[in-house]
Amino acid sequence: MNRTRWIFVAILLVALLIVGASLTWRALSDRSGTDDGLTVERPDTVTVRVLTALPVEPWVRSAAEAFNATDPVVDGVQVEIVAMDGLTALGRWDRNDFGALPADVRPEDLSEAEQAALRDFPTAWIPDSRYLVELANASYKERLGRDVFLTDGEYRAHPIAISLFTWGIYESRAEVLEDRFDTITWSTIHDAAVAGGGWPELGGDPGWGYFKLVVPNPRKNVGGLAAMIAAGGEYYGRTDVGVEDFTNPEFQAWLGELMGSVTDFSSASAYTAEDFALFGYSVGDGGQLLESDLLQNMQGILTRWEDPLMLYYPRYVTWFDFPFTVWIGPETSALEKNAALGFQRFLLSESQQEAALAYGLRPANPNVAVDASPDSLFVKWQDRGVEPIVPRADAMRSPNRDVLLTLLRWFDLNVVE
Amino acid sequence: MADMRSSPRNSQSPQSTGRTSDQRNCLLVVVIFLIVACTCGGLAITLGSGLWDSLFGQFDQDEVIQPVPWSADSAELTVAVSPGMASVFQELAGQFNRQQQRTPDGNDMQVQTLVLVPEKMVEQSLNAPSFQALSPDSSLWLNQLEQRWAKLQDADAGEESLIPIGNRRASNPVRYATSPVVIIAWESVARELGWPERPIGWQEIQRQATEHSNFKWNHPSTSHASGLLTTLAEFYAGAGLTRGLTPEAATDPQTLEYVRAVEATVRFYGEGEEVIVGRLAAEGRNFLDAFVAQEQVVIAWNQSQRGERERLVAIYPAEGTLWADHPLALLELGGTSPEAGGSTAVTDNQRRTFQAFAQFLGTTSVQRQLLAAGYRPADLSISLDEPGSPFANTDAVDWRQPQTTLQVPPASVVEVVQNVWWYTKRPTNVYLVVDTSGSMEGAKLEHTREALQAFVNQIRGDRDQVGLIEFGSGVKLFEPLQPLDDRGRQELIEQINGMEADGQTALLDAVWEAYDDLQRTGDEEAINAIVVMTDGRENASAYSASDLRQRFEQEQAVTVVVFTVAFGGDADAGLLQEVARIGNGQFRRADETDIEELYKIISTYF
Repeated sequence: MNRTRWIFVAILLVALLIVGASLTWRALSDRSGTDDGLTVERPDTVTVRVLTALPVEPWVRSAAEAFNATDPVVDGVQVEIVAMDGLTALGRWDRNDFGALPADVRPEDLSEAEQAALRDFPTAWIPDSRYLVELANASYKERLGRDVFLTDGEYRAHPIAISLFTWGIYESRAEVLEDRFDTITWSTIHDAAVAGGGWPELGGDPGWGYFKLVVPNPRKNVGGLAAMIAAGGEYYGRTDVGVEDFTNPEFQAWLGELMGSVTDFSSASAYTAEDFALFGYSVGDGGQLLESDLLQNMQGILTRWEDPLMLYYPRYVTWFDFPFTVWIGPETSALEKNAALGFQRFLLSESQQEAALAYGLRPANPNVAVDASPDSLFVKWQDRGVEPIVPRADAMRSPNRDVLLTLLRWFDLNVVE
Repeated sequence: MADMRSSPRNSQSPQSTGRTSDQRNCLLVVVIFLIVACTCGGLAITLGSGLWDSLFGQFDQDEVIQPVPWSADSAELTVAVSPGMASVFQELAGQFNRQQQRTPDGNDMQVQTLVLVPEKMVEQSLNAPSFQALSPDSSLWLNQLEQRWAKLQDADAGEESLIPIGNRRASNPVRYATSPVVIIAWESVARELGWPERPIGWQEIQRQATEHSNFKWNHPSTSHASGLLTTLAEFYAGAGLTRGLTPEAATDPQTLEYVRAVEATVRFYGEGEEVIVGRLAAEGRNFLDAFVAQEQVVIAWNQSQRGERERLVAIYPAEGTLWADHPLALLELGGTSPEAGGSTAVTDNQRRTFQAFAQFLGTTSVQRQLLAAGYRPADLSISLDEPGSPFANTDAVDWRQPQTTLQVPPASVVEVVQNVWWYTKRPTNVYLVVDTSGSMEGAKLEHTREALQAFVNQIRGDRDQVGLIEFGSGVKLFEPLQPLDDRGRQELIEQINGMEADGQTALLDAVWEAYDDLQRTGDEEAINAIVVMTDGRENASAYSASDLRQRFEQEQAVTVVVFTVAFGGDADAGLLQEVARIGNGQFRRADETDIEELYKIISTYF
């Protein structure tokens, strides 16, 4: 063998040596748990991050724990719940706080640090109502030229539970209001709110002070917006109320008087019904809040204040359907999207829908009745006015972006400022 | 010879043959280099970034390292907590720390506390705080924080975002305990007022104070929730309203006159309920007849006295009250950059510690501890009148109360009330009596100058007057009382900066001079006070402590309160305590590290 051949043999040996060393290194690395390579391999763990509206968060979190423990769908799927009010989440989508990529950028084009920043990107979103999804889509359509949440197909938004806004009023106060007004409506509540002599004028105890309405702060809880829209519906006697209606000075004066009976917007947390229970009748005699929130706090109110809540169903109803919505952009992987769908199916399973009854949520799965579980709050609180079947009512139409911004601006200028 | 045969191919000279061989070798080296490089490149891709990072990544990391106040994997959470809750909170943090919980990467979850008045928490949270979470006494402060943060963000952005929601400085708070703000009175005082037979309101307390000059009451400044509520109640009463307070109504001359008259009856303002309780223990009813604080104070006092002293009772104001709801919130510090003077983001581990601690506070065991300490637990499954509860079998507190709350006006009105309060609060005449004897030379004098300047800057009332007396072997400088407008403040600061250390310590003579001038001024409407500081022992005065006592007892045209400060370990604490007793005031210790903070605290009494 001449020198040239020796040299080629040497090169081959060196190359083989390097390849051998690399394979050894890789084997050791695999053992220590790292797995980076050219080929796309299924990771050990797929994490599904679900931005979850506050009213369903306790149930969804509990379901996620059960899902993570049993792994019924895909091995290694872990669901993480991030509680966030629907309007707050919409604001964050709108500002692109989560960091969705521009239309011409792919995740593989990003630096390692930028890819790491995408790890916290939400896989799915459960807002309070589907109109929030539509508003987020509209925002991204302007930015990216396409929808980021689908309205049809496999990844379309699926409601996972239902709830509606009802009146919750302390029994002692409700009896006085019923004696005085017969029915509980926005109109009679307005009359109570503007009574100059307070509760004594209405026939109640002087120690109760003025009538105090509870309305969530819309900057922290989307229920505040729902309350204003429902009030508008009753004021105009129709379900479709637009910007021109909400900017009507007469309506604004009427709404202003209602809001003037709210004791404290500044300290109100995102959990209005919980505040209602914690501070009792001292901060609010009653208000139109989400049925599930009220039901979840009924026992606490009874234990703490000895004065139970009574529920009354309004004529103009705002529904929340909590749509489970999968982000379809490239920021999350196909594995994550499919795992999210797996969790959605789990939430809609009969066992989880029955579990939702214990949180005062009405099932989205039509096979499950509201009294299907012995823990159902609809059964437990039936004598406090809870109706398993909602009486005849008119559902308010979802607000569009202009209505939403009009109401928020009005609130900021007339209530917060 | 065959070997010697030449051919066109082999016809090169040895020299040329050597060149060809060199060229071949060069080519081989290039080929080897390319193969090795390609192999290494392939390997680097095959192995991913792990090997590359292990070999070269360190340099990249070094480039992005920046000085930060806490490490990137820190699991130590510092919580700013209001003074009223501090002792209970610190105990709970200690219990949590002893659990030795760990983050997934093995760091110890630890909670440290920093005691701050809520107003300061808000100010610091807007910049680069040394804490990552806060627990003020009321959500009012979080609301104020968010409002100010939103204004800053809007100013930075130049315009509001399309959906102007969700850009917050603090996370959704967790509540772990509540307590309504009440009027607390000795049982005998409460009965004289008509308790428990009939409801008593803010207006009755205000009337009692204005009509009976011997009725002593107190509320903290508007830096505390209880002080803010009391002030709001005064503005409501002054405006003849119980809700719907507007800036116009709050600044109406008649309202201001009413508030000024009520505030003139306040004994002093001060740090908050924990200090008041300490002085109640020392002085009993001589100190105060009534004060405004959380309901919890009543329970804690009655438990600690075990029937040996008169009970305190909670009066739930008929017009309504406010809740101290003790929120706990994590700051969202990610928006600021170290370059801009901001802090680094809260770490993932600190978030984990926050979540674990919030969860810990919600456990039944902790909630029951809070109940035992007199708070209303956030856990609604715990009944307040269950056996063993401090709310059961007592009429000193009533868990069915309050029946109603005062309406908290919009933030803009609250701000007006806070600002206007400085113009309606009881005015102050205070002498700063400062030891500049020889022993004060150097760092001590420098820290004293800073502390006095901080004091002067904290006094904001337009009717407040401050004087300065510098003493050594005798009174070296007597700067009479002067209003603290811009010019007065500047002059006083120049006097403070001009102080020099020399001589002995004629402390009592200097106090005498201050007292003399306050009596001569005879301003009965104002809080008259002397704040005296020394680092040594009295050795040069003509007057003695007994002379001073006699003077205080015999000449009382106006009441003068004396605060004494022992600066360092050599100060005559015994004499200073005696002087504080004579002046019905307080004795405090300080060193170079905390004298500035102490002077700031003392300023809250005025």
